[in-house]
Amino acid sequence: MGFAAHERWAFGEAYRRNAALLYSAAYNVLGNADEANDCVADAFARLWRSPHPYSADRGNLRSFLVVCVRNEALSRRRRQTRRSRAEERLAGLTPPEAQTPQLADPIERDRVRRALFALSEDQRAAIELAYYEGKTHTEIAAELHEPLGTIKSRIKLGLRKLASVLESLRPQEAGPQ
Amino acid sequence: MIGAHAGDVAELYALGALDEVQRRRVDAHLRTCAQCRTLVGAAERDVAFVASMEPRHDPPPQLEAKIDAALAARAPWPLPLAIAAAIVIGLMPAAYLWSVNRALHATVLAQTAAMQRLAAGPHRHADFQPMQPSPPAEVMYGSDGSWYLIVVHDARKALAVAWMHDGERTTLGYAAPNGSVAMLYLPKSHRMDRLALMDGDRIVAQATLSWGKSSPARPAVRSG
Repeated sequence: MGFAAHERWAFGEAYRRNAALLYSAAYNVLGNADEANDCVADAFARLWRSPHPYSADRGNLRSFLVVCVRNEALSRRRRQTRRSRAEERLAGLTPPEAQTPQLADPIERDRVRRALFALSEDQRAAIELAYYEGKTHTEIAAELHEPLGTIKSRIKLGLRKLASVLESLRPQEAGPQ
Repeated sequence: MIGAHAGDVAELYALGALDEVQRRRVDAHLRTCAQCRTLVGAAERDVAFVASMEPRHDPPPQLEAKIDAALAARAPWPLPLAIAAAIVIGLMPAAYLWSVNRALHATVLAQTAAMQRLAAGPHRHADFQPMQPSPPAEVMYGSDGSWYLIVVHDARKALAVAWMHDGERTTLGYAAPNGSVAMLYLPKSHRMDRLALMDGDRIVAQATLSWGKSSPARPAVRSG
């Protein structure tokens, strides 16, 4: 496989085949077109610089790329949040709650939101903090006043259930594969 | 991450819910563990599926050019190749210096040995007679034929020294210039009657060595 063999044409082709999904994954985390643009480009540059970022036994390349782009976006958002808090502290202001970007198209977003309500309340709280707010599991454990092991377990089970519920709600034209 | 494997944090990894240090640790582990790559791959599939159900946005057209520019940068070398290259690049100067050092060491040893021979006792001497335009040269040698020192003055290039015997010519070595003098020290165990200086295939000078009692021996060279 060209991507696993680190061939340049395969990297270009991987972007072209998944451009809208990858850009959307970044945009839905960052809520800003310029930031999303830089994020996707940086994620590809990082993969290109890594000696062996992907191998076939990892599974679907598209899934791998979406996760890479999302993680790049989450890292950017965490850096922005830290910077904003530092600036606010310097300005002597009370830091507001971490801002979740305002995202367009609430109807489409409702599909995932609706699926989230199929989870238990505990699972939903953990998944929302991880998926939408980009918090780490230690932050989530602190915020929910639960042990780390409990949070890991809720996220593990919650993610599987969310994907399963979404699969049942899946419109004919959508899907990651 | 429990023990050596990453299976229990696969979902956290795929969701981006690990901090940077933990994430790098998992990345390192995934490079060597196919079992955990499969587990993480399954979690990535779930996260990507959820992401695919979210609102879609069209990427700006310039993003493709930006990615192409990033890909134009040189790809990293595979690790084994990079290690091999580093070894070769690291060893080349060392090997060169070692060979230069060895040649210098051999020259110093030969000159020291020649000086010790000259200082140790009387020795014999013969001048090379030019047969073609050639620099002045002489040979000093032990009375028992155990050593020979060929010295070429005003040397501009290396000249071969050959032993002429029984109608044949045996090349013994090269007198290479060091400054304006070229020297060749030959520790030998037999007497040679005729030596030639060679410039390529041409004989440019010859010396006839005398071994009889009538041949005058020069005294030892004394320092101070």
